[in-house]
Amino acid sequence: MPAIKSLLILGLVPLALAETPPTLTIATWGGAYESVQRVVLFDPFTEQTGITIETEAYNGGLAVLDDSPPDLIDMSMVETLAACETGRLQLLDHSTLAEGTDGTPARQDFASGTLQPCSVAHSVYATVIAYDSRAFPGQRPSGVADLFNLEDFPGLRALQDSPYANLEWALMSYDVPRKDLYDLLSTQRGLRLAFDRLENLADQVFWWQAGQTPVEWLESGKVVMASGFNGRFFSARLDTNSPIEILWDGQVQEHQTWVIPQGANHADAARAFIRFATTTGRMAAIANHIAYGPTRNSAHALISRHPEADFDMRPHIPTHPYNASTAISKDVLWYARTYQRILQQFEKWRNGELNDGS
Amino acid sequence: MIPETIRSSVRLTAHSILGLAKVACLGALVGVVAALLANIFVAGIGWLNDVLLMSPRSRMMETDPLWIVIATLVVPTLGGLIVGLLHKGIFEGRAHGPAEVIAAVQTRRGRLPAWPALLSGLSSLVSLGSGASVGQYGPLVHLGGSVGSFGARLFRTDITVDNIAIACGVAAAISTVFNAPIAGILFAHELILRHFSLRAFAPVAIASIAGYVVANAILPQQPLFQINPTTVLYLWEYGLFLILGVCSALIAVAYMHSIFTVSRMARRIPLPSALKPAVAGAVLGLTALWVPEILGIGSETLRFAFIDGAYGHWELLLVLVLKLLATAWCLGMGFSGGVFSPSLVIGSLFGALFGTLVGTWVGATSELVVYAVCGMVAVTAPVIGAPLTAVIIIFELTGNYALTIAALASVALASLVASLLVGRSFFDRQLQQRGLDLSGGRSKALLVSRTIDSLINNRHVALERNVSVARACTAMGEAMVAEAYLVDDQGRYQGKVTLQALIEKPAEQPAQTFKVVNDFVIDAHTSLWEAMQMLKHFVGESVPVVGRNHQLEGIVFESDLIRAYLEIMAEMRREEYASD
Repeated sequence: MPAIKSLLILGLVPLALAETPPTLTIATWGGAYESVQRVVLFDPFTEQTGITIETEAYNGGLAVLDDSPPDLIDMSMVETLAACETGRLQLLDHSTLAEGTDGTPARQDFASGTLQPCSVAHSVYATVIAYDSRAFPGQRPSGVADLFNLEDFPGLRALQDSPYANLEWALMSYDVPRKDLYDLLSTQRGLRLAFDRLENLADQVFWWQAGQTPVEWLESGKVVMASGFNGRFFSARLDTNSPIEILWDGQVQEHQTWVIPQGANHADAARAFIRFATTTGRMAAIANHIAYGPTRNSAHALISRHPEADFDMRPHIPTHPYNASTAISKDVLWYARTYQRILQQFEKWRNGELNDGS
Repeated sequence: MIPETIRSSVRLTAHSILGLAKVACLGALVGVVAALLANIFVAGIGWLNDVLLMSPRSRMMETDPLWIVIATLVVPTLGGLIVGLLHKGIFEGRAHGPAEVIAAVQTRRGRLPAWPALLSGLSSLVSLGSGASVGQYGPLVHLGGSVGSFGARLFRTDITVDNIAIACGVAAAISTVFNAPIAGILFAHELILRHFSLRAFAPVAIASIAGYVVANAILPQQPLFQINPTTVLYLWEYGLFLILGVCSALIAVAYMHSIFTVSRMARRIPLPSALKPAVAGAVLGLTALWVPEILGIGSETLRFAFIDGAYGHWELLLVLVLKLLATAWCLGMGFSGGVFSPSLVIGSLFGALFGTLVGTWVGATSELVVYAVCGMVAVTAPVIGAPLTAVIIIFELTGNYALTIAALASVALASLVASLLVGRSFFDRQLQQRGLDLSGGRSKALLVSRTIDSLINNRHVALERNVSVARACTAMGEAMVAEAYLVDDQGRYQGKVTLQALIEKPAEQPAQTFKVVNDFVIDAHTSLWEAMQMLKHFVGESVPVVGRNHQLEGIVFESDLIRAYLEIMAEMRREEYASD
């Protein structure tokens, strides 16, 4: 009876005995990322517990929490903090999280700031700039400023349809040091400078929403430079013919978290899943598949080689020192409070002053 | 048998090694403590600014605009009130600052008192935390100096080591907050010690390095600014930097004069002085509703000045003038804080303005940031009176040699021009207004700061004023002196007679007929400097000292005055040149 045994381990006996295992609905991000989650997390969980998992397409935003929310959401830290503050997420008990493989209690094993009242951060992802190596045979882009440099690096761009990373990069292109970015973005002058920079680029930009889109556009040659999530670009590069090159300069790092919305139908099963998915082993497995950094210290030691392509994964993780020397750490507290207002300005700018081309 | 000369030199070496170890330990200890306190101070300001909605980041994060308006009006006002009340606990009714540190060291009076230092530190923290437009480095210099002075007292050192310890604290504070240890050492020498001795260099360097290590190991300080690699495009631009320097000096002069003018005006405002900072805060808050840039230290404004296109011409001028006025207003009305950080902001805005104008007239030049940095340094250096420090800070923060030389070019004339118009620094001018003139050099300052009080003695012959020549001669002969002083029945000084003048005069005539014609007297509060000036035209043994109502209190021998002068000069030379 392996299934019952694992239910005992997971503390789900009452749930299991009371009824047939429920179906857990998880809102997550599709594409290569979801495929990896399916292999590393969802299917093994179903195998152990009998609980089946359905996914719901999700590209971020808090609208997912409105009527009949999913049981579990793979949410970015900024939105987690904002939603938790307004009481739209369930509080989580971090003491039920598994200890590290080396026996370290969860609270010490998780990096600081990754365990918040409503959430458990499970990975570090980065929004990076990538380019089509075919488009720049001679001089290649080497820094954030090149994203805005249409003279030396002409061609269409794809940017996320959101202020995230775009404002940071725009300001960074004025040589503003990384530590000053959010202080300056807190002033009208700083925001104006950032929008001025984006405005210069505006008629060359396609705006994307789903994480897989910039990968497709780069591969098809529709755009020559694009912002996107490092894991997606990594997965694309598993195909050795891929023209995509990642520019780590100015990568914007943020945590991705598991949260349970208020009104979730199967909160107990969702909690069991969080415990299952945030063990050292599962975290390391995700990192080995799609190059998102783990949030547990013990998981870092287990990052090794990609299971199929069989190369060292460490240089592809955002937090690797080689990649992180000019990383921007997304100021999640700042965004959690300001996002709605910044978004309004962003949308006003987009609607009022350009043909966005998408 | 070891010859006595070798034994004594071994003893001497052991003694100096011990002394050296003691001073080095003192330097390290002062360095670490000053660095920790400086870190806490800076972190405290940041925390207060965030909590009290004074920093742009916290204002942006506040979702209710009403709270921002309320905070902008209330926080500086309340802060001013607290500052005013804290200053009531200080004898002078104002915060102590770098001027006190300089005065203590230059006059070899040592000893910065702990209680005013504590109150001044607190009031600066409140001022800066509540958004007053003042600087943070002045308070830090005083804090560091006070830690040094306190350390010296713990180690029971002599006055020379006390001065060195003060310099150690200052060096550590600057080294920590700028993350620039060489600048820390230079600053302590340029502004505080004003001489260069190996004896002081070693502990000051140790303290500065200790500050740097603490800053990096325990509480890393963010650099004041970071500038990406940039270079000076054309050699003729160095000529422009010189001109920029001269213009910046005029801005610095205007800045310093505004502060002094507001201080003078503030004294005439018929309000209790404890309330004046609160009034200043209220006016500042009201203005900040319109131009929030004038609140606080202004790091964001400084950063924007480096960006081409962040301000228009008129905006640069407007923010520059308002920042200058706001700082003069806050400091003049009694907020506690420094003049350094605002001059960085004012200077960089001015440099940016100069650079933009030059760009419009001449065409292609180096990046705007080069001009902004030059302006920043050229306004700051004359204000703090430390041109080399200002240049080295640029070098240590940017590691950019071309930029450093550009800064040097702009500082070259700036300090000289400003010193002709105001004085060596803002602090020297402050001290001058308080009666301590350092412009004549340290020897004059030392002599001015000592009175002849301790040299007065009673070994004189006082005679009743109607005494006869014969009796006067006898009295002098018995006392073996050649001078006697005539006093009336109430002991009031009436004149001096000398043996030479009375000899062979008719014995029964009153002695006062023959008293010295070009006689002069001094009082006990006369400074050594004044006494030495008077002595230039003096012939004789001693000078009478008179008190209230012209009462004869005693005399000072000319030889005692000269001995005191020589001792002070010798002490000073020992501090400045000796190596042990």
